[in-house]
Amino acid sequence: MTLLAVTLLVPWAAGALLVVLDGRRRVVAWLGVAALAATLVLLAVLTVRVVVSGPQQLVTGGWPPGIGIVLRADALGDAFALVSVLVLLTAAAHEAVAGPRARTFPGLLVLLAAGLTGLFLTADLFNFYVFFEISMTASYALTAYGGATRQLRAAMVFAAVNLLGSIIFLMSVAGTYHITGALGMDDVAARMPAVGANAGLLVAVGFFVAFSVKLGLFPFHFWLPTVYAGSRPAVAAVLSGAVANIGGYGLLRFGGGLFPQQLQLAAGALVVLGAASIVYGAVLATSRGDTAETLAYSAIGQVGYVLVALGVGGPVGFTAAVLYTLVNALNKGLLFLATELRGRLVAAAFVIGALSVAGVPPAVGFLGKLELFRTAVTDGGVVLVVLLVLGSALSLLYMFQTYQRTFWRDRQPGGGPATALPGRLIVAALGVVVLALGLWPEPLLALSERAADVLTGGHA
Amino acid sequence: MTRPDTVLREVARVLWGPSLVVAFGLIVKGYAEVGDGFAAGVVVALVVGLFYVALGAEGAERALPFLRFAPKLAVGGLVLSLIDGFFPLLLGEPPFTHHPGPGEHVVTIGALELFTPLLFDIGVFLLVLGVLTVLLHQLADPDSEAGDPFPDGEGRR
Amino acid sequence: MTLAFAVAAAVLFGAGAYLLLDRDLLRVVGGIALISQAAAVTLIGVSLSRGRAPIDPDPSRPVSDPVPQALVLTALVIGLATLALLLALVHRVVVVVRTARREELAAQEAEHSETLETDQQRDRDEAA
Repeated sequence: MTLLAVTLLVPWAAGALLVVLDGRRRVVAWLGVAALAATLVLLAVLTVRVVVSGPQQLVTGGWPPGIGIVLRADALGDAFALVSVLVLLTAAAHEAVAGPRARTFPGLLVLLAAGLTGLFLTADLFNFYVFFEISMTASYALTAYGGATRQLRAAMVFAAVNLLGSIIFLMSVAGTYHITGALGMDDVAARMPAVGANAGLLVAVGFFVAFSVKLGLFPFHFWLPTVYAGSRPAVAAVLSGAVANIGGYGLLRFGGGLFPQQLQLAAGALVVLGAASIVYGAVLATSRGDTAETLAYSAIGQVGYVLVALGVGGPVGFTAAVLYTLVNALNKGLLFLATELRGRLVAAAFVIGALSVAGVPPAVGFLGKLELFRTAVTDGGVVLVVLLVLGSALSLLYMFQTYQRTFWRDRQPGGGPATALPGRLIVAALGVVVLALGLWPEPLLALSERAADVLTGGHA
Repeated sequence: MTRPDTVLREVARVLWGPSLVVAFGLIVKGYAEVGDGFAAGVVVALVVGLFYVALGAEGAERALPFLRFAPKLAVGGLVLSLIDGFFPLLLGEPPFTHHPGPGEHVVTIGALELFTPLLFDIGVFLLVLGVLTVLLHQLADPDSEAGDPFPDGEGRR
Repeated sequence: MTLAFAVAAAVLFGAGAYLLLDRDLLRVVGGIALISQAAAVTLIGVSLSRGRAPIDPDPSRPVSDPVPQALVLTALVIGLATLALLLALVHRVVVVVRTARREELAAQEAEHSETLETDQQRDRDEAA
């Protein structure tokens, strides 16, 4: 219990202190990196404890669970928190090496980590909403980092669209309270089967829309290219690798854990939407000229895979969805950070990321694609498998198109003179992580299966 | 910059004291009726906004010297709330536990009970006041370093 | 009573949606503010209940429900924070770009597309 509370406290305290200091100084930037590293270590220890002895839970104030706010660390939340904080750490180190351009940048990143850990480690709907808003406010401010016109426009679009999504989310939370009379996730899951079908479906659709806007799924994707392409690469890495995880986690936790009947009812529609997202993202990514825009459309396509896995459902589908979301977060973090740097080391890291997106071994994306194909083959039908193959082939095409354009220009190896070594080392380290997870996938696979068990085993 | 309006200035000065009283009242009565630290902070920030409108950034900070320290005030409030929320961990209890707990004896001044959530509310009051003052300063005086989160951006690509 | 809340929320939402599609960025922010207020009014209207205050409940009488009030209060606080951030953003846009009109922001984007075009032309020349 204390470990869980300390894991939540560390980024809060560190973020509060870092915001007052001048983040453009190297010392402060590296303090931010240290705070994120400490959070990552605490999360890793927490995950190990959760895997060994089951979910850790505490209720604030010592009140009974229906009255007090329940904070719970289980495999699903821990996995997402780990990957998100890892991406945040890499982005913070990337910017600390180059020197942050804004006073509040390290503080904002650490506060974003505080918001995300609070969101992933809670079992109360309203606490989820509060930390959701904290994370989003921090990311609106982060999107404007850099101060140029492109970033300001990206920040305005991002803020406006996601605010509307947040309002829909708030209405859905209030709707859930209205129909079930409870706000704790356990109580809601227990009382949901007794609720009328129409009301439950309406609230579930509200949640689905809110999380789809966050993820950038097909009908709600229009803001994503502007924001990911307009913001600085480190911020784009944070948005696609950490903040988008809120959408994936939300779909899994709310769809799989709280509204399982509605999820099964809408399974066909979800698979169709996911397939549309895959095809749309892949086709448009192939036609873009700007690296960041290609990666943005690729992000739209990749989350379509997660939705397909969710639509198929069951233990196999949920495992594939969890695994694919985590892998995608790592990929996008690596790729966005690598767009800004040059050099052979960075080119190699980009190739690993590209292979991971396309699903080629030994990068970890192969594992994600494997699980996804397994769900499609067991439960999906021929059309779905064909669409998945098409999406993967197109992703191979556009990833290597991007590689050629960025790192193979003018017959210079690595795309130009190499940028400073520390920056390249950070990106290379993330590439090594992606490769290592692909060569030794057991831990990630076991964690994903545990996370899926949380949803189907009756814990939620 | 138009000539500052005399009525506005005097109204701002006159309203300052009562706003503090109203804010204090909101915090005190908040445990049995409507009110909390957030509302108190907003009430005082409204009058601070009036100061900024009437006197401009320089004049407001001359009239109310503590406004210069608004960022530190905000973070101080946040840290106070964090300490107040998480110190029960040192005693082995879950965070945000009330001390004295429910049902135990508590020192009262009239109807106001002196217990740890009061510190939390004061922390929130300081946080809200500080944050809104920083925003008002940024809107009133965009060229100064103190309020600017991106001091070197000037349309740079 | 519920009808009054419903009409108020509808009017707020309609006005907010209309403002959201305006050209001036400040009106867009105003539209977002109105829409979030519409959500708050809807929440209050949905959870209206008559009864004693829950701080002093009487077992034989109905008690009014405090949870939705807490939800709305938190939503208002969050709305204030995000509105403050949006205003600071619009202010920053006006200071840096010297315009508060939406289409002029987009014009800067067109310049970026032109540099992409020259890049692509360079690729084609190189391949030829």
